Amino acid sequence: MDEFEISRHITIGQYLALGSFIHKMDPRIKLLSFALLVAAITFSASYTANAILLFVVFALVPFSKIPIRYALSGLKPAIPIVLLLAALQIMLYTSTFAGGQHCSSFFRWGPIDSNSCGVQLAMVSAARFVELLVLTSLLTFSTTVTELTLGTEQLLAPLTRFNFPAHELALTLTLALRFVPTFAEELERIMKAQVSRGAELGQRGRLRFIQQTRALLPLVVPLFLGALRRAEELILAMEARCYVGGKRRTHLLELRAKPSDWLVLAGTAAFAAAMLFIPFRF
Amino acid sequence: MSEPILRVENLHYTYFPDSPHAIHALRGVSFTVPRGEYLAIIGHNGSGKSTLAKHLNGLLLPTRGDVWVNGWNTRDAAHRLDVRSTVGMVFQSPDNQIVATIVEEDVAFGPENLGVPRPELRQRVDWALDTVEMQPYRHRAPHLLSGGQKQRVAIAGILALKPQVLVFDESTALLDPVGREQVLRVARRLKDAGTTVIAVTHFMREAALADRVIVLENGAIAMQGTPRQVFSQAERLRALQLDVPEITQLAQRLHARDAAFPSDVLTVDEFVKAVPSGEWRVASGDAPITPSPNHPTPPRSNSVITIRALEHTYLRGTPLESIALRGVDLTVARGEIVGIIGQTGSGKSTLVQHFNALLRPQRGEVHVLGNDLSDPRLDARALRCRVGLAFQFPEAQLFERYVGDDVAFGPWQTGLRGDALRARVREAMDAVGLPFDAFKDRPLYSLSSGERRRTALAGVLALRPEILVLDEPTAGLDPRGHKDILARLVKLQRDAGMTLVIVSHNMEEMARLCDRLYVIADGRSILSGTPREVFAQPQRLSELGLGVPQITAAMHALRERGVAVRTDVLTVEEAAEQLARDSEAVKQ
Repeated sequence: MDEFEISRHITIGQYLALGSFIHKMDPRIKLLSFALLVAAITFSASYTANAILLFVVFALVPFSKIPIRYALSGLKPAIPIVLLLAALQIMLYTSTFAGGQHCSSFFRWGPIDSNSCGVQLAMVSAARFVELLVLTSLLTFSTTVTELTLGTEQLLAPLTRFNFPAHELALTLTLALRFVPTFAEELERIMKAQVSRGAELGQRGRLRFIQQTRALLPLVVPLFLGALRRAEELILAMEARCYVGGKRRTHLLELRAKPSDWLVLAGTAAFAAAMLFIPFRF
Repeated sequence: MSEPILRVENLHYTYFPDSPHAIHALRGVSFTVPRGEYLAIIGHNGSGKSTLAKHLNGLLLPTRGDVWVNGWNTRDAAHRLDVRSTVGMVFQSPDNQIVATIVEEDVAFGPENLGVPRPELRQRVDWALDTVEMQPYRHRAPHLLSGGQKQRVAIAGILALKPQVLVFDESTALLDPVGREQVLRVARRLKDAGTTVIAVTHFMREAALADRVIVLENGAIAMQGTPRQVFSQAERLRALQLDVPEITQLAQRLHARDAAFPSDVLTVDEFVKAVPSGEWRVASGDAPITPSPNHPTPPRSNSVITIRALEHTYLRGTPLESIALRGVDLTVARGEIVGIIGQTGSGKSTLVQHFNALLRPQRGEVHVLGNDLSDPRLDARALRCRVGLAFQFPEAQLFERYVGDDVAFGPWQTGLRGDALRARVREAMDAVGLPFDAFKDRPLYSLSSGERRRTALAGVLALRPEILVLDEPTAGLDPRGHKDILARLVKLQRDAGMTLVIVSHNMEEMARLCDRLYVIADGRSILSGTPREVFAQPQRLSELGLGVPQITAAMHALRERGVAVRTDVLTVEEAAEQLARDSEAVKQ
């Protein structure tokens, strides 16, 4: 409906202040638990494991108070790709790929080989996709950018001994996320401004790539010039506020893990281990 | 404490010193700032005032000469952090100086850099947010705040460093009147608490608040003294492309006629006190006429924009949805200049984006040049060529290398080529005061900010629109740039019969320019009428967070004191004439 409404499509870094149990967790614990669950999802290939994971992930949503429809809003644009991928997997996953696994064939014609292994792969992939998406939404909607970056910085802090730039990485991440809404607004404004003076942005001749790219110049050039100007001003402003790098810096935010946080971490670790090491038969 | 907090000695600064394009931005500036002073540095765009500001905390180091802060030379790397935490600097763009995604985190950034331990850090953040009255917003994301609020967060971020000097580098230039007033109030409060304040500005009304004014021209000090001394030399200021506040201009006109009237008036209050009420009082019989306010504008047959009961909601159907328009009615007749005023966030920008179909009506009716904008088959592109729209800071849309190419972009897109295109570009550039032959091959990066603004406006005019919609066309320009651009817009309307719709916060500008005004507040059209009718209600406007022209405010204040002047006076000339007439009426 609104052809220029860009902010609608950017859900990254959209923290929803709902004050739930998940919101109040120590971000370091949250990040570690997240990593454990992602590992469990990535390495579980059985129907049973994925059914359990799917159930657990959805069961977590009410604890965050995030509306389930909003948590799933990122899913809709991805559905065509997920379906295409599933179709290809079902049709082309030959039993030779399946290693020692036993596959029962349903249908065979030329290169097309539809069998139980392909169907399982397709189903499991789709399930994984949904699990990861919901889990990531849970993390980003329930954790502020500051918590995320400070959590990451402190988790990576032991690596600074080997010259790993943990603070710089965290600051870069913060600044990038800080300017996402700013650039979205700016892009929207530039699009509107160029259209207001007669520009036509893409539409005609869908396959003429050079013309299409050239048609983007009126958007890309001002956006980059603006970004460079902003970067320069930001550097000055940071210098004026005595920024000299990560050494000696203190933090307003103090991360403190509560007993309940440790409990959650222990539970998650046990659950992930179970998913990874129990040999589900089906 | 006899030692001044700041000492600038024979300061020279050159950009690109080794290149043939070297720019000598500062040429031997010397001055000192005693502790606790409120100093204003003024000058037109390009006079070197921002370069000077960046030397005060060592962001730039002198090419020649020295800057001393609290006894430390800014060249001394060992004291760099001492210098920067002593002299805090607030910049122009609120967006580009906020580093964190939560207000209080951002305020903490400076002291965090200094390694301030946590309990004190928390104290400093609380104190700084209290001082700028932003405590309730501490957990907000900065991009959801208004410009004035963001700028106050930026000030809090500097205050948390506990500086002794606060430099405002054009920090109010991008704000609306409410935001500007908020920032100025903070500045005054800090000054009263003993902080040294240095304001770099080209708003003369702000300079009038200072203890001392330094006027820069071409990288050197051209004038300095108290605001009274500086503003009493109106001719000299005008030669420096600056201006004096309107109320001072009025006082000077009265002074020219009657030497007893003081010429060094700086504020409305001072002016009202200077008018001898006994002498100028008019008999109660001939009370001045106050126009009947807010009568509906008769619908005109030749209307080019008609809007009825328009509503608009952003991000409909998401948790972030926000209502921008709740019911706007508006008509614009062909050949009119219509002004739209309202606070930031009142819905003005959303409204004007309906004029060229950037937004379609969600509810209500929009008819533009005979097109119904609810019609899904509408050729939006054709309409956009007939309704030109220039956003605030339109120079952000420039993308070509050369001025001429950028102006040609619109007409080229509509299929114009060769001589016709060339003629069109020439016409547009001439209309904004950029001579075609001198400017068409100039690279865009070499232009001044005023020239870039003109180029962007020419890019819209090159479509030869029937209606031109301008959002804050003069924001950020110096006084001379303001006047020149406005004069050219009026010429377009008069000579080419163009219909103009202007959105602006500058009430003096709107009073002089517009045939009719619409006041938008909270997504609704609240008031409409001629500038005289609208500005006759200062009480109502101030409830909506809006002001009236300075002169009008002075006339209302005089009338409250019992001086029988008309209150529907908008300009210096009218007011001078009015006051003369009244005094003659008494003397007869």
